[in-house]
Formats: sequence, C-alpha cells, structure tokens
Amino acid sequence: MAGVYIAGVAMTDIGWQDLDAHELGARMCVESLRDAGLLPSQVEGLLSTPHGYMAETRKMITQRMADYLGLECGLMLDIDSGGNSSSVALHLACDRIRLGEIRSCLVFAAQKEVPKKQVQQDVVGYFHLIKAANSLYDSYQAAFGVISPLPFYAMAIQRYMYDYGIEPEDIARVAVLLRDHSLKHPQAAYDKPLTLDEVMSSPLVSPPIHRLESSEMHDGAAALVLVSQELVQDWDRAVRVAAIAEAHDATSFLPYQGEIDRFPCVERAARTALGRSGYGIADIDVAEVYGAFAGLELMMYEELGFFGRGEAPAAVREGRTTHGGEVLLNPSGGRLSLGHPAYATPLLEFNEVVRQLRGEAGERQRPGASVGLVHTEQGFINGSIVTVLDRQDERAAGAR
Amino acid sequence: MDTKHYMQDRAAEEFFSRLAEGMFQTTRCSKCGKTHYPPRVVCPHCLNEDLEWVDLPRHGVLMAFTQQEAALRCRKPDVLGMVELDGIGNIFTRIDAPFEELRIGQKVAFDTWTSPDGIALHQFRPID
Repeated sequence: MAGVYIAGVAMTDIGWQDLDAHELGARMCVESLRDAGLLPSQVEGLLSTPHGYMAETRKMITQRMADYLGLECGLMLDIDSGGNSSSVALHLACDRIRLGEIRSCLVFAAQKEVPKKQVQQDVVGYFHLIKAANSLYDSYQAAFGVISPLPFYAMAIQRYMYDYGIEPEDIARVAVLLRDHSLKHPQAAYDKPLTLDEVMSSPLVSPPIHRLESSEMHDGAAALVLVSQELVQDWDRAVRVAAIAEAHDATSFLPYQGEIDRFPCVERAARTALGRSGYGIADIDVAEVYGAFAGLELMMYEELGFFGRGEAPAAVREGRTTHGGEVLLNPSGGRLSLGHPAYATPLLEFNEVVRQLRGEAGERQRPGASVGLVHTEQGFINGSIVTVLDRQDERAAGAR
Repeated sequence: MDTKHYMQDRAAEEFFSRLAEGMFQTTRCSKCGKTHYPPRVVCPHCLNEDLEWVDLPRHGVLMAFTQQEAALRCRKPDVLGMVELDGIGNIFTRIDAPFEELRIGQKVAFDTWTSPDGIALHQFRPID
C-alpha cells in the first residue's frame, strides 16, 4: 500500500478572532502549502468543515476556497461529523491518495463561533440558535431542555469516580497539568498558570465538573497538506500516516444501553489503528487526546490503552503523562488549555504531533519522539478516530 | 413552548402524549417480541412495522445524576439523572429530590411532572 505523508501544517493563535472564517481558512491553507513547499496548482483535493456549532455556518465552504486559491480538484467536500469532522476529512483524503485518485489534499477547518457573552446578552436575538442547539439531541434528551452535552459528561465522570474511588483532586490535577503544558505553547488560548485550589474552588457548572475542568469554545483555524510519496519535497520534515481507524457506536449522545462511563468506540479505534500500524501502545512517544473535560481526559487515556481502568489518575499524579514520563500526553495543553475551536481541534492535534515528530516543538519537544498518536471524537464520544503517525520513509521499501 | 422542533418521529409524539395522560410506555415488536427504548416507528431488530405500546417498569436504580446551569428547562436546582430500568436500559429523566440528598444506587420510582412552561415529562423519586 502506497504511503501517505503529512507534508505541511499550520494553525492560528487560539482565542477570539477578528477575521472572517473564510480569511482565517485561506491564510491557513496558504501557510500549510508553504510549509509543504507546494503551490496551489499542485493541490488535487480540498476538504473542510462547518465554521461552528452556534455559528450560522455557510454552505459550500470548499467551493469558495477553491475559487479563492485557484484549486482545480479531483475531490472536494464540506464534512460535518461534529468534533470528528476534520479527522474524517483526513481519513478520506488518505484513502483517495492511497487509491491513486489524487496525489495531494488540503484539509482545513476555520471555526468562528458566536461568542457566549453575545448570546447571553441577547438571548432573544440568538434564540433560534439556542433552539437549534437543543434539537441536536434526540427527543428524549431534548425534552429536558439540554443545550450542551455538559450534563451527560458530568454523569459519566460522576459514575467513573464512583466506580473507581477517584477523588475530586485527581480530576482537578489534570486541568493543572494541561495548563502547565500550554504555558510552553505560544499559540495557546491561556498563558497563566493554574493551581489545584483555583480549579477546586471554581464553580460547579454541572457537578462534579468544575468550570476550570471544562473546555471553553474558542475561535481558531488550522490546515494540513497530505501528499503521496512522489510529492514529498522535504523528507526530513515529512510525517507518515502509518494507520487510521474509525469506530462508531450505535448511540447518539447518551447510551441507553451499556455503561454510561465507557466509550467502546475509543478502544476499538485504538486497537484497530495500532494493529494496522504494527506498533503497540507502549511504542507511542507522544499523543494528542480529545478530552473536552478533565475527567473525560482520564477516561480517554484508559480507553486508548495507555493505562488500565481507573489507573490514569495515579499515572497523572506520578508524572507519567508529562515531560520526562513514559508517554507525553497532550503536550499542546489539550482542549482545556490550548483552547477548543471544535471543528479545527483535530487539525490542532495533528499540528502538535507532526511538530513533535519533526523535532520542531520547541520548549514542548519530547526528545527523540518518533511515533505519535492522535485521537478525536464526536458527539458524546459516540464515534472515534485514531491515527498513528511516524517518521518512516517508504522510498526504500518501494524500491525493493 | 413549542416542542415540535425536537419531536423526531411519530413515536416521540406518541410517547409524550401518552406521558401527559400518566402512561409510561414504549414500543414492542409484535413479530420478534423485542422491546425498544426509546420507542420506534419500526423494529430495528427485524424491520417489522407492526409495533404495540407496552408499559415500562415504574421502578429503577439511580445510575448517575447532575444539574445543568444553561438549559431551556430543568435548570439548576432541578436534578437530571440516568435511571436503570430492568430489561430496558438507562433512561434520562428528571430526579425529584434535592441534589445533596441523592446517592448512586438508590431505588427510585416513576412519576409524571409538568414543567413550568407546560411540557409533560417524567421524573423519578427516591424510595429508600
């Protein structure tokens, strides 16, 4: 099977943005092409996502970008699969490149959300969006007024704490650690350290979730360029997509059957991706994990197979998930502290792992990192995509 | 408030209108005999469309509970929870008790509840 490489990456600063989502996206497309050493005339595929959940998103986003940058493509699609969207895009692009239908694909996502304060101050003006947020959930969840998955995550975390005897401080510590990580990231949304006391004394937004254990929505954009072997310009900086696996459970938000604190799709996607890549979980040097809440982050570490059930809190406490530990998890600061422009989030995760594997992560660098993993999810972790990345150069294999 | 925006099918309309009359029911396939929750308009096990409405258990076990700050209804101090019903699975419901007095594993019993904006919903109340 022909190799697919990530040749270029780009991301904006995370926070509130003044520029229109189109311009944010265009700038990231251009920056990632420069990083890959390619011109628009060499782009053969273009994939993107909506601009946000509350945003009154445009349609035909990729078409407008193709016109703007002069991209004549053999694949073009706006993909909406919630938080997984830009990973789905990457998966599709890899398949088409492997099939030989295209040789390169630009994947971008630009999230520009309606600021929460704006919605709160003008509830009437934005009521149609609040109602739209409510109807994201099925009739039996929406009827109770739900407009975010926060209460569902709260119950999953409560149950996880109950099942494994996990203390509130164990959860709060994750938020503190992720903030420590993001302090080394010049593009992160947050630049002030957090203490355990600050997290523990922040209000309970949905008990047991403290406000500082919950990721805020942000604006941000990112892009990456995928290419076949023949279009790699700089082998010292190309990162190989070793394997991708996608797994979806037959659930939409709350699981009516099964355990509320288990996410089987994560385990399935991780096991399959690792199996296809030929690596074991112990081979992973660095990973970006999609955990929108501190408690969830711990559960994801376990479902991915880094630790046994109920063992992630001790691993975090003992420094096994940070610099100098056995695996570096969310060096970017993760969703909690890098910031969470949801549709762009998977591409931010790829940005981080690609930079780590190139040795370009600056202060955040894990020395000698050579195998990385990216995990993304959608809904209430109803679906997951796991990608394994490495530095393997397949030219030699192809020549044999 | 208009609830049409979240009524996903005829089964949902039927479920909530039965609930308004005090009935707590779901669908069962008359062909393969499997019970569904949430109710369906077609059996996902055998694809049969001939379904009947049957009673759901009125007692269950509290699996988890929380509160929501931002919501269209059932805002804090209301409590929401997952209740396990024997043979059915977990249902998402309002819990009729102060948050501080609840614990996981408590036995709870069904009741109807009408929200201040006039929506007929279900809730469960601790019985031990």
